Amino acid sequence: MSASNREVLSALLDDEARELELRRLLRELDRDDDQSRQLQGEWYRQHLIRAALQGDQPRHAPDFSLRVAEAVAAEAMAEEPAAAGWRRALGSMAVAASVAAVVVLGGQQLSDGVDDAVRVAPLPSGVVNTLGAVPVQASFGTRAVPTLEPADRTAYRELARQRLRRYSQEHAEHASLNTPQGLVPFARVPVIER
Amino acid sequence: MDERISQAVARVPSAVRASAFALALCSGFSASFLALAPVATAQDRCPELDPEVNRLLRTMTDSTARGDYSGVLTLQRGNDMQVMQLSHRVVDGVATEVLSRLTGQDALVLRTEHPTDCTHPGHRLLKAASALENGVCGLAAGYRFHLDSGERIAGRDALRLRADPRDMYRFGYVFELDRETALMLKSTTYGADQRVLEQYQFASLSMDSVSTDGLPSMNDSLEDAGVAYRAGHPHPSEPQPQSTGPAWIVTWLPDGFMATDASPPGAPRKSFTDGLASFSVFLEPLKVAIKPGEGVERQGSTVAYTRGVALQQRPVLITVVGEIPTNTARMVADAVRLR
Repeated sequence: MSASNREVLSALLDDEARELELRRLLRELDRDDDQSRQLQGEWYRQHLIRAALQGDQPRHAPDFSLRVAEAVAAEAMAEEPAAAGWRRALGSMAVAASVAAVVVLGGQQLSDGVDDAVRVAPLPSGVVNTLGAVPVQASFGTRAVPTLEPADRTAYRELARQRLRRYSQEHAEHASLNTPQGLVPFARVPVIER
Repeated sequence: MDERISQAVARVPSAVRASAFALALCSGFSASFLALAPVATAQDRCPELDPEVNRLLRTMTDSTARGDYSGVLTLQRGNDMQVMQLSHRVVDGVATEVLSRLTGQDALVLRTEHPTDCTHPGHRLLKAASALENGVCGLAAGYRFHLDSGERIAGRDALRLRADPRDMYRFGYVFELDRETALMLKSTTYGADQRVLEQYQFASLSMDSVSTDGLPSMNDSLEDAGVAYRAGHPHPSEPQPQSTGPAWIVTWLPDGFMATDASPPGAPRKSFTDGLASFSVFLEPLKVAIKPGEGVERQGSTVAYTRGVALQQRPVLITVVGEIPTNTARMVADAVRLR
């Protein structure tokens, strides 16, 4: 396994992988060769190590990366007949969709597992707090959000990105009637659709 | 029913379908959003708005809705800057508004047949001096206002109105309002660390009442644009195709926020406003289980917060999209319950 793959994998598991790197890694996983199988093995091994370090029970689920690879393969086949420009535009969405699909599929499998409860821990106070808000002590009133595995965290971020695209026009419709800026909220919509 | 609304209803020809949309919203609205408003807040808890600020905001709201103006605007969010053209015209008490993008996507948004007397909740909040009915506090509950002399924007002198948030649930704003008409010439949204999240302003502005002869017709503009979207008037009595989902409610809102429309309990979306900010909550029932978790994406002042969770053992995805701090979005998502 190449040093750069090892780095990306490590970054991914630490939730620091960039989207482009993630895509490259997923494409490599997609190839059915020794290197790809080695990468899958390494992914699972590193996952187990991190789980152990964090005091989690290792999951007995079959290799998570296999599912990612399957989903990416399905996307790649669907992409084949498309024009280059279209494919470029959808490339990142396709990977995002694949990863998101794994979150959903993975959930089904997890709910059968016995180790589900062990992995649920409250977030530290104010951890989600980013722009604009004063840190909230204990985020009063909120329920505990499970600590996500890094790959799941990446998937959830993709999910949020997709939902922003999907919903921002409908939100702008209401914002433009209920805030002082007139139609300007529509300028915030990434791509306006008919 | 509000008297002004009754007048608007009487004035708009019922044959015009788009107008009927608008007035159905305006007329059905006052009564029906009561059911969606948050639990009553004590009236005496609501601070009063400074009369001068109140007058200015009322003038601003009226100028925006009833004035004739057109100009070029810039919208800056981080390193991204967009340029767009905006025009607003009123003929016989009915407004037509067009926004076309001059950079990036070739797109145009159009809102027509909008009666100027049709007042939406956000604008009612802007114009209210104190608490609204049902214990919803007015703007003064969420913001402290400060009035000052402003810059010169698009060749016009401005007054500066600063709105500092009273709590951590909303952003702050600095508005530059035209001295003559109170029309908003510039708006800056900032976070708690005073970091600018979004800024837009007019680069040029004309307030002459535009004759329709010199402008391309609406149909021409629609045909020329790459994508043309007709912004609607969401209204409660029109059957909603996706309203078959589970009934749900939002059990917590920051002070001063109220529903923007009377969406049915099973509708996938509910939107809220405090007059200056707004956000929408979306609920998607899922067919398969999802690993519980959350994800955040922020672009300028807009956040999308997505939470996968099981409510009454039904897997759902809750997404909050709006111009609010991430933590507010998180707390709102957390307060979603199935009925």
